[in-house]
Amino acid sequence: MSASENISEPKKSGVSRRSLLTSMGLGAGVIATTGLLSACTTVASTGSGATGGGVAAGSIGGSSYDAEIKKLVAGRELQIGWTPPILSEFFKQMESAAFGRMAELEAAYGVKWKWERSSPTGNFDAVEQQISTVRGWTTRKFDAVLVCTGANFATMQDVYQEASASGTAVFQFNQPVEIYAPEQISTVSNIGYDNRWQSGYLAGKFIADTLGGKGTVIQIMGPSGSDWTKARLIGFAKAMEENPGMKVLGTADGGYVREKGLNAAQDLLTRFRDVNAIYGENEDMALGALQAVDAAGLKSWDGKEGIVIVGADGLISGMDSIAAGKLTATIDVGSVDQGRTFIDTIFQNVVLGESVGKFINVPTRVVTKKNVAAAQAYINNALQPSKTY
Amino acid sequence: MKPTSAPSPRFTRLMANPSSGAIFLLVILIVVMSVAFPNFFTAINASNVSNQMVFVLLLAIGMTVVLITGGIDLSVGSVMGLSAGVGAYLITGGAPLILGLVATMAAGAFLGLVNGLMITRLGLPDFIATLAMLGVARGALFLWTGGIPIIGYMLPEYYVISGLAQPFGFITVPILIAIVAVVIVAVVLKYTSYGRHAYGLGSNPHAAVLSGVPVARVKVIAYMISGLMAGVAGMIMAGRNTTVAPTMGLGYEVAAIAAAIIGGAALGGGRGTAFGAVIGALVLSLTANAINIAGVSSSWQQIVTGGVLLLAVLFDRMSSLIRARSVRLTMRLAHA
Amino acid sequence: MSVRERLTQVVAIDGLPVAAGLVLATVFFTMTSPFFLTQENIANLLTQSIFIIILAAGMTFVLIVGGFDLSVGAATGLSAATTMLVLMNDGPLPLAVLVGVGTGMIFGIINGFVIAVMEINAFIVTLATLSIGAGALQVLTNSTQLTGVASPAFAWLTKGSILGIPSGVVITLIIVAVLEWVLLFTTFGRRVFAVGTNPRAAFLAGVSVRRLTFSVYLLSGTIAGLAGVLLASHLNSVQPGLGQGYELSAIAAAVLGGVSLAGGRGSVWRAVIGALFLATMAQGLQLIGVDPLWFSIVTGASIVIAVAFDRAVQKWVIKQLAAATRKRDVPAETDDLSSVSPAVPSTSGTRSSVRNTI
Repeated sequence: MSASENISEPKKSGVSRRSLLTSMGLGAGVIATTGLLSACTTVASTGSGATGGGVAAGSIGGSSYDAEIKKLVAGRELQIGWTPPILSEFFKQMESAAFGRMAELEAAYGVKWKWERSSPTGNFDAVEQQISTVRGWTTRKFDAVLVCTGANFATMQDVYQEASASGTAVFQFNQPVEIYAPEQISTVSNIGYDNRWQSGYLAGKFIADTLGGKGTVIQIMGPSGSDWTKARLIGFAKAMEENPGMKVLGTADGGYVREKGLNAAQDLLTRFRDVNAIYGENEDMALGALQAVDAAGLKSWDGKEGIVIVGADGLISGMDSIAAGKLTATIDVGSVDQGRTFIDTIFQNVVLGESVGKFINVPTRVVTKKNVAAAQAYINNALQPSKTY
Repeated sequence: MKPTSAPSPRFTRLMANPSSGAIFLLVILIVVMSVAFPNFFTAINASNVSNQMVFVLLLAIGMTVVLITGGIDLSVGSVMGLSAGVGAYLITGGAPLILGLVATMAAGAFLGLVNGLMITRLGLPDFIATLAMLGVARGALFLWTGGIPIIGYMLPEYYVISGLAQPFGFITVPILIAIVAVVIVAVVLKYTSYGRHAYGLGSNPHAAVLSGVPVARVKVIAYMISGLMAGVAGMIMAGRNTTVAPTMGLGYEVAAIAAAIIGGAALGGGRGTAFGAVIGALVLSLTANAINIAGVSSSWQQIVTGGVLLLAVLFDRMSSLIRARSVRLTMRLAHA
Repeated sequence: MSVRERLTQVVAIDGLPVAAGLVLATVFFTMTSPFFLTQENIANLLTQSIFIIILAAGMTFVLIVGGFDLSVGAATGLSAATTMLVLMNDGPLPLAVLVGVGTGMIFGIINGFVIAVMEINAFIVTLATLSIGAGALQVLTNSTQLTGVASPAFAWLTKGSILGIPSGVVITLIIVAVLEWVLLFTTFGRRVFAVGTNPRAAFLAGVSVRRLTFSVYLLSGTIAGLAGVLLASHLNSVQPGLGQGYELSAIAAAVLGGVSLAGGRGSVWRAVIGALFLATMAQGLQLIGVDPLWFSIVTGASIVIAVAFDRAVQKWVIKQLAAATRKRDVPAETDDLSSVSPAVPSTSGTRSSVRNTI
């Protein structure tokens, strides 16, 4: 799997990113976490996802180990704040997975979780709302906050520094931290994936491989200037570069929403008649592109011919479409593993006082018709946590 | 926004004409694009653009009515999303398609009614009342869905209604719906007493009150029309997207207002036509389409869009000045 | 003077209900959250809201002449970018500030020229310049990373402290005070009201409506430029999309504070109260742990209540004044118009008119 080579791209200077250890391709354990919890995380996040997250309560590190940790935890209460940029299917999957992991840790170690979700509604003041959310949690002396935001990078670093100064540990999730200098990032840890090599590159390589290294692509991008878009594009461009037979005909802005993705795909399909593949940089836009392909009377990929349509994120709705033979593939960026992993990371760092890696990348995978059932089962299992908070 | 001098009635009437300047700009845009890009002036692209513009068009028609009465409706995007959610939810729960569609439109009209009552009964400024509705309707949709898109309502007929399936060739059902809506609103505005009251209320509210126009009723109905149009747009978009995401319709109010104003409506009230709204929606949709067809780099898109907007109003202004001058000239000649 | 008359006079002060709402909200949040009335939180609240306050103050002038300026958010973002650009190229601080403010002024000049001289609809013109400004910021930030200027003097603009008060807040107070003074005590301010109330009468009275309209947009652009400079100092970094949506917050704040969208009515402090009310609601709800999904609903509802209460008070005041006038045997106008009716000349000078809907 070439992902691991790409993850160790020399660009990322000095700092030993977690990703070097952890992303040994599909099927490997997520985070060989420092010490104590490694056993459980491996079980929890078997890449292809067949096992699911349901570890029987109380069996995490052997009964005597569990009992000792329980003594150390001593029924501690942990107040956690979680703020995604918007409430969506993707983040709902992640939150459910987090709940599942919290329930497991609670059963095994007696840690008492208090969870507060705060998600803006996408209106004009969404970004300001998240900033004041984190500040509010800092003021209320939360133990840990989890942030994923489209807000200004520098502003957030200020906010994070204030938080750490007053004793609130800050973690980011799903944030494209890879495009910033590691030393500028003021969080304890960043749980996510490398958008360049674990998403954009995978999509590009999948398209090239499927088409036999030769063909034309159109791109439906997220909003210009978005960090996610920037990062994924770097990886996608790299994959195109490695396959000189591939040609990117044109790009359009689909704003990460289906309606705009559909319109953009329609327009590009009108402009270019001979399109072999469409890269929708998130699933909603890819599904919109699929509708445009259908409406134009074109055929989507059937294994031999048609237009290859690839999305990214890994939503149940996208996977349903893959299972139905419509969407060709999507890049599952580990909504479930991110949720479980950030709970583990908080437990390790805030409760047990262990050191954690600053950059923890979960495995991502190309989901096609072949492995979609496993990926769906993994997410569906996570969507039914034994307890919600 | 305020006239600098008292306009003559004839001048006002001319200004009220649907924007011939915008039409002029449209012609230039189409000619330039057709020459430069052979794929632009094709039946398939015409079909694309008309299907893409339906939403802004429907919202702009409703907005035009509200603007004519001197109001503004910032809530249309949120209302569109919430009403689509209501219909989709009912159909998913097993309600017949027709009931779901009617519920979608009814929800839109109801939210419009609430807007109207807040403004007439509580005396809230239109801007504030509809801004509050924007927030409340969007928040309600998020709370209700918990962020998870509503799916599973796409009965086979819905594909036809939303234009995804095209049994009649290029003319899709949404286009037909839009045409019907334009014609109805145009007739209402031009030939009914409601239309006269609406223009009267917008051009001179004080006089309208004194001359017995049922001001509150005219206002409430305007907001209900706007809400209904948002409901219709939501009904079609729910079909086109095949899911109702809680973000559906986010930001559409700005496009709707812009389209209405390009089409000759004014924020001060008293001006605007349904046909103008068509032109306005066409300018916006065609610009977005041209940007994609011409392959404008995404970071330049906003600049191009802004430039076209500015050109649209400049052209409109120039044409109305020319018209006014020619009118003055004819009048002078007539006197002589 | 009877108690009732005195009461009438007090509540007739425009904007008082919203100010009362602000106080009420503050009391409520102080009681429900131990963190609300802490120095840290208040400092946070103020530093976060200074940009909207400044923009709302500038917007007030535009709204009073019956205009609209949607471009202020984009102008703020672009001004922040040009300020950073100068500083990153080792330009001196005064030059950077000048360039930042100048960028805002360019927006003002373009808006003012097209709106006042060519007499084109302000909404659409400023929507177009918003789009162009936001796009220019995209293009600018696409090629260069605007971040990391090590200038203590520049950082001090917002992060310093004067007498224990954050310097950004002090600067904002000064801007607000100057603008209020201009609006209330200068010829320019009186003309702004005159044009907003009745442009024709103002024209006949010798006011150049065109020049005045132009200057109002120039002022709004300049203020946006200033806000941009402060924003750049606050963030020390500029990214695409900066300032996006500030215009709506600013307009909402001004209108909530009682500045009329129809023109002719408003004052700077009222817009500031409106901005503070919105910020307090957001911050307070956050502190008592309300899911932001409820924010827009709660904020929406509280806006409706605050403004509806304001209207009710106004109606009461007008009734009182009418009654008082009738008592003095002056034939009173029977202002039995519904709330949607336009400016009704009130029977006393205390209050200018029934608040207009747009």
